[in-house]
Amino acid sequence: MRVVVCAREVLDPDAVSNYVLEGKLEIGEDGRSVVNASIPRLMNAYDEQALEAALRLKDNDESVTVDVVSLGSDSADILKHAAAMGADGIFHLAADPAGLDCSAIGRLLGAWVGSSGGAQLVLCGRQASDDDQGVVPAVLAEALSLPLVTIARDVAVAGDGWRVIRATPDGDETVQVDCSAVVTISNELGDPRYPTMSNKMKARRRTAETVEPSSLGLSADELAPRVVMTSTSVPELHGQCEFIEGGSVDEQAAALVARLRQDEAIAGGSA
Amino acid sequence: MASRDVVLLSIDSGRDGLPSNALRLAAMGRRLADQRGGQLRWLVLGDLPTQLATLAGSYGVTAVDHADDDSLGGWAGDAQVNAAASYLGDRQGALLIAAQTFDSRCIVPRIAARLGCGVVMNVVDLDSDDDGLSLTAAAYGGDTRSGYRFEGDATAVVALGDNVVDAGPAGSQGEAPLETVSLDCGEPERVSVVERAVTEGPRLEDAEVIVAGGRGLQDAANLGLVEELATALGGVVGASRPIVDDGWIDRSQQVGLTGSITRPRLYIAAGISGASQHMVGCTSAKTLVAINIDPDAAVFRQCRYGLVGDCLELLPAITRAIKES
Repeated sequence: MRVVVCAREVLDPDAVSNYVLEGKLEIGEDGRSVVNASIPRLMNAYDEQALEAALRLKDNDESVTVDVVSLGSDSADILKHAAAMGADGIFHLAADPAGLDCSAIGRLLGAWVGSSGGAQLVLCGRQASDDDQGVVPAVLAEALSLPLVTIARDVAVAGDGWRVIRATPDGDETVQVDCSAVVTISNELGDPRYPTMSNKMKARRRTAETVEPSSLGLSADELAPRVVMTSTSVPELHGQCEFIEGGSVDEQAAALVARLRQDEAIAGGSA
Repeated sequence: MASRDVVLLSIDSGRDGLPSNALRLAAMGRRLADQRGGQLRWLVLGDLPTQLATLAGSYGVTAVDHADDDSLGGWAGDAQVNAAASYLGDRQGALLIAAQTFDSRCIVPRIAARLGCGVVMNVVDLDSDDDGLSLTAAAYGGDTRSGYRFEGDATAVVALGDNVVDAGPAGSQGEAPLETVSLDCGEPERVSVVERAVTEGPRLEDAEVIVAGGRGLQDAANLGLVEELATALGGVVGASRPIVDDGWIDRSQQVGLTGSITRPRLYIAAGISGASQHMVGCTSAKTLVAINIDPDAAVFRQCRYGLVGDCLELLPAITRAIKES
């Protein structure tokens, strides 16, 4: 049984967040790239959890093969990381993401999955931690004519298909799909495994198999971006926090409640 | 000639009443339809929420197109995608605007993929001009904004996040005309629900008052202090992701990027540092109060009132002050 995991490299979102808070996020000359050199590049954390979900299936069933594919100009490090975690095959789809939109990326990934023998399960992170779009898995599912199940915390084999637990805002929802599917994984799955040192050493010698996008038979129109990212900016925060200071804890509490009543943020202004 | 129409999309939520984001959706649709000089139509898949036609009328919606095929209720991803794609297939060039919800997140990009058109999620603002569309979307968990551009007059699909600029004023009055449309819903669903999620108590998205706790509470047992204040204010308990991950509280109480996006009248964040992934779920509160022991905590950058101190002392003090006054 073949499980394909799609993984992407992103800038460490925590580091980006720190630079934003310090007012030191640097945007490049193109107006849209974050260029702070010291921000680490990592595998998108949700994708790492998707890989963990695949490896758990493999833990339970030796017949499961886990292939990881990454589209990007420089995916070598995250693919080695995937190998160190336990991926069987690592594949680099050598397209430049700069000229592609999410739809084209989804179509390319779908074309590769289809042309490389298909898969019983395709796992993706619920969204990338940089653009937060969550579009690629949906396009991929449509490209392969497979059903899409989003925001999963657990995936298990059931019959000819999959039993998936989704982490919804209302709690867990269990769904069944009786065929191959695309499933997106959320952080509720739990922490991904750490590669052992010996697996890391072995992975260092692994080289990803390169896939040329031109070999996938997509037309220029199918790859043309429908939407183009034009800028990155930092929104102004609308805080102007008034600190309530001085006096005892009870006095501070009373002062807060008085202001909230005045602002009609809580009822009973006459009290 | 390409359609200049704006189509609002509502999918069956399985709940009664008008979704909380319907007003902002209608207001944004009105503005874009005016900019584009096209009709504003509202496509409703599944149950028609009461008052939707009235709301639509007040924003000058030309017609509410209601598809009520039985297959469009409940978990109906396939049917909803098929129906919306067939509706838009007859309106090449239209702009589809959906409110972004947990359910619509997995439908909207599929509709775009089916139509072969572009899609942007998490949109906080958009404008139409002669050459296309300009959009602003939230990225990096709300830390940054990305600008996007659709060039030309191709069909475009966008999902409005919950942090959209506030709704503009309503226009004409009276109900919008209702038209029943018959759309091809395709084959039976490939995904079936085995066990439904059950909500207990009020939903965070609908709450007027939320008191939320984070790691600053130090121990799961201290969540009681948050509950007591929430009860005193007639509100709901929320939580940051770390304490949900640690199992202190059910995931359904999580506020933020991977939880609920809320818009209460009052939001009190106790012992929450203010990671952007949390703040994206609460900065639309009318009044945001933060309690944190660290005066440099990020949460203070976005709140209205700040109390620097131990939330284990301040929470009960505020509860007492509410009860006494």
